[in-house]
Amino acid sequence: MTPTPPNPPRPAALPVPPGTRLLAFGGRSVLLPVRPLLGGLALLAVVVLVTAVALSVGETRLNPVDALRAAFGHGTPRDVLLVERLRLPRAEAGLAVGAALGVAGCLMQTLAQNRLATPDTVGFNNGATAFAVASVTGTATQLLPSAAALVGAATAAALAFALGGGAGRNGYRFLVVGLGVGAVFGAVTNLMLSRAAIDSANAAYAWTVGTLNGRSAEAVGYLQLGLLVCVPAGMLLGRRLALLRFSDAVATGLGVRVRGLRISVLLVAVVCAGLAVAVSGPLGMIALAAPEAARRIAGPRSVPVLTSAAAGAALTLLADLLGRTVLSPLEVPAGLVTAVVGGPYLLWLLLTTRPRRTA
Amino acid sequence: MTAARTATAPAPRLETAGLTLGHDRTLVVRELDLRLPTGQVTVIVGPNGCGKSTLLGGLARTIAPRSGAVLLDGKPLGSLSTRAIARIIGLLPQSATAPDGLTVRDLVRYGRQPHQGLLRQWSAADAEAVEHALTAADLHDLADRPLDTLSGGQRQRAWIAMAVAQDTDILMLDEPTSALDMGHALEVLEMVRGLTGRGRTVVLVLHDLSTACRYADHMVAMRDGRIAAQGAPRDIVTPELVRELYGVESAILTDPVHGTPVVCPVGLAARTA
Amino acid sequence: MTFRSLLLRGLIPAAALLLAAVLASLLLGAGDVGPSRALATLLGDGDSDSRFTVFQLRAPRTAVAVAVGLALGVAGTVLQAAARNPLAEPGLLGVSTGASFAVVVAIVLGAGAASVGPYVAVLGAAAGCLLALGAARLRGAGDDPVRLVLAGAALSGLMNAGSSVLLLSDARAADEIRFWTIGSVAGRGTDQLLSVLPVLVLGLLLAAAAGPALTALSLGDDVATGLGHKPRRARALAVAAVALLVGSATAIAGPVSFVGLVVPFAARALVGPDLRRLLAVSALLGPVVVLLADVASRLFARPYEMPLGVMTALFGAPVLVAVVRSQRMPAL
Repeated sequence: MTPTPPNPPRPAALPVPPGTRLLAFGGRSVLLPVRPLLGGLALLAVVVLVTAVALSVGETRLNPVDALRAAFGHGTPRDVLLVERLRLPRAEAGLAVGAALGVAGCLMQTLAQNRLATPDTVGFNNGATAFAVASVTGTATQLLPSAAALVGAATAAALAFALGGGAGRNGYRFLVVGLGVGAVFGAVTNLMLSRAAIDSANAAYAWTVGTLNGRSAEAVGYLQLGLLVCVPAGMLLGRRLALLRFSDAVATGLGVRVRGLRISVLLVAVVCAGLAVAVSGPLGMIALAAPEAARRIAGPRSVPVLTSAAAGAALTLLADLLGRTVLSPLEVPAGLVTAVVGGPYLLWLLLTTRPRRTA
Repeated sequence: MTAARTATAPAPRLETAGLTLGHDRTLVVRELDLRLPTGQVTVIVGPNGCGKSTLLGGLARTIAPRSGAVLLDGKPLGSLSTRAIARIIGLLPQSATAPDGLTVRDLVRYGRQPHQGLLRQWSAADAEAVEHALTAADLHDLADRPLDTLSGGQRQRAWIAMAVAQDTDILMLDEPTSALDMGHALEVLEMVRGLTGRGRTVVLVLHDLSTACRYADHMVAMRDGRIAAQGAPRDIVTPELVRELYGVESAILTDPVHGTPVVCPVGLAARTA
Repeated sequence: MTFRSLLLRGLIPAAALLLAAVLASLLLGAGDVGPSRALATLLGDGDSDSRFTVFQLRAPRTAVAVAVGLALGVAGTVLQAAARNPLAEPGLLGVSTGASFAVVVAIVLGAGAASVGPYVAVLGAAAGCLLALGAARLRGAGDDPVRLVLAGAALSGLMNAGSSVLLLSDARAADEIRFWTIGSVAGRGTDQLLSVLPVLVLGLLLAAAAGPALTALSLGDDVATGLGHKPRRARALAVAAVALLVGSATAIAGPVSFVGLVVPFAARALVGPDLRRLLAVSALLGPVVVLLADVASRLFARPYEMPLGVMTALFGAPVLVAVVRSQRMPAL
């Protein structure tokens, strides 16, 4: 109990929590967590590195530095043409899809208070795929694939939440309900694909595994637009999101409007997942692994939306890169790579995650 | 404690008017009129399922009223922003859980969130309130330990420290001692009583009637969602009340040290229709 | 429940349903033989064309569907009892995908699909079963129905992806393999059925043998031991039965999910929780579910056919949701 100081104390004298730096300017103050910030920067370097390698690998190999330069229009015309026309769009798509899945996964995990709740495990991806396929095969709707995928993801989300009795309180039940919803949409997708003409079977295949091959430039554009809104939105929600990890009563007690926050978080997650699926099909595991990696970097205090996006981008590009190179000249879709690599990881996570005990 | 606190001279008062609360289709609290004496410890007691926790939830706006209202300084809680309320009412619900890996200081810092903003993330008041809360809970030595490495009593103190750091005039705790042994429970309750020193109003839900008598300035005894009796423990705790609340015949003794009532159960009361 | 009421409420309705489903499977389908013409053919009044369709095409297919349904229905009931988990389903737990993955691996390693037979499938099913149950038990997740299912889903997702990668890398075998990733009874005949029949029958016998002990297990291991049963042996027997049944079903029809969930669910609604009654009714209802799904798959996507596995997922997933919702799941 000290008497009120006559003047606001100078920032220099202000003790800050350990491991943080205070950035104060004109009455504003931002608390920067040092380690997570450095980790995030390192992650960003990894993203750049993976991008460079992704741009350099292909039928004609380039030096990664040249590839990066070519991406910005420097270097021999042949390199520039090769990179800008052929490889950059695919890399851009991968980065955007990965970032969106990272954000969606991070938000869903926080919302459901369960590391296993991601857009793919709770059926959003399957819902989005079913609607996108409906739009592509033209059986049901004239909507753009991106719009259709959005509607699909939203439908799956609404179903999973309505039938699962809401996330959070009974997280695992919500997951299995999501699994069921996803299975129905998966079956619907197969139904439509089996009815579609045989010649589009190859295009259809992409919709069942998730791949960056043959993505539509239009859908990538919508996704990037969506990210431009969703990433800042996710960051703005971030501080309150950290409180959503406590019980509802604690969060309310600390001044969070839990219902409203939940709805906005879900909305952002659905938009990210839907738009990403419209580009790549149901690319699994990224939304599970990216937030996990981000949490390692960011520590337990915050919900790392931005770091998740970066991790997702790196992982997606890496998966695509692996798929293109491992069995080359055969191309393994990124979705199969993530499934084969991520499957054991998911199992391990599932079997080692202890149910949360009360304090 | 801080500038904000000394500025609010007329202490806010919390009261309910015809408050009715419920879960799903059942009404748990009916038509309750209650005033919480400022600067005192109010303890809510009653048998299992009488609506104690629900009432606390209603007072702290985590449960919306079916009818009636909770009035904070005369204004219904529903008309205030939940963030503004969070600067006046702090709540520690029963069996709160925290994300893995959080340290004590991390947890206590979350208590400052109602006072912070996106571009106002740390201030002198924040630093001071966190320090004060850690001191009040005697947690300085454990401040940078992860919560999951602490004992039950220490963890409970950390949660209370979070609520203290919130620096509110009214503090509500739902069975803060339910999972603790005698020593840890005492540790927590002594700490809570220390909080009223500066005019803070504390509301507790407690299970054990004798403990409640010891720590309550004002006691609210509930049964079936209604108030059976309220007042100072030594005025209201009688064998008749214990029989009415719990169906137990008892003798009321006096604590030789503190002079508060001690309930000594004798046997089950004969069932009356 | 007396035997009479079991008969009235369980066996007779189930048998009637089965009869109707068999008739539907014989009468309805793609091709130009309509229901009335098919019925006339059945009654001995048909031309060679319709006789061929009904007796050479539809009858074997119906027999295959009945066998698959029998195996999966009983396997589901046994597995649920052994795991004491209403969500334990051979497809969901990765048993079926284990079987099909094993077959795919065998084919890629050079075996012809015909020569592979049911034995590889049985081995794969056993491996899948043990993997899911074992992993779950090892980590103490076995008591939690929902986590078991999630582990199974992860496992089968993994094995499906493995099959797909093999399918990519071995274009020669791709057509043979594709069948093993989605269940279907189309184009399956008496040959395949006869080659797996011994395995199937053995599985049924084991299931019947495990019945009494599993019934006691539903009261908990301690009580079962007190009643003179050996829980470990009963579970081992149950796993063997499930592996044989699912392996043989998968060897004929590929992985078909959700049948083992829907059938016990429906059977329980008819005759209650007693395992012996459930087994009897499941044996009748299993074929009903598979037959109906197969008929629907013929009719839905005309002129194409939709894989049976897709159809059962369409039926079965809502049942999964219903089961989860009706259960008092442990709050985690």
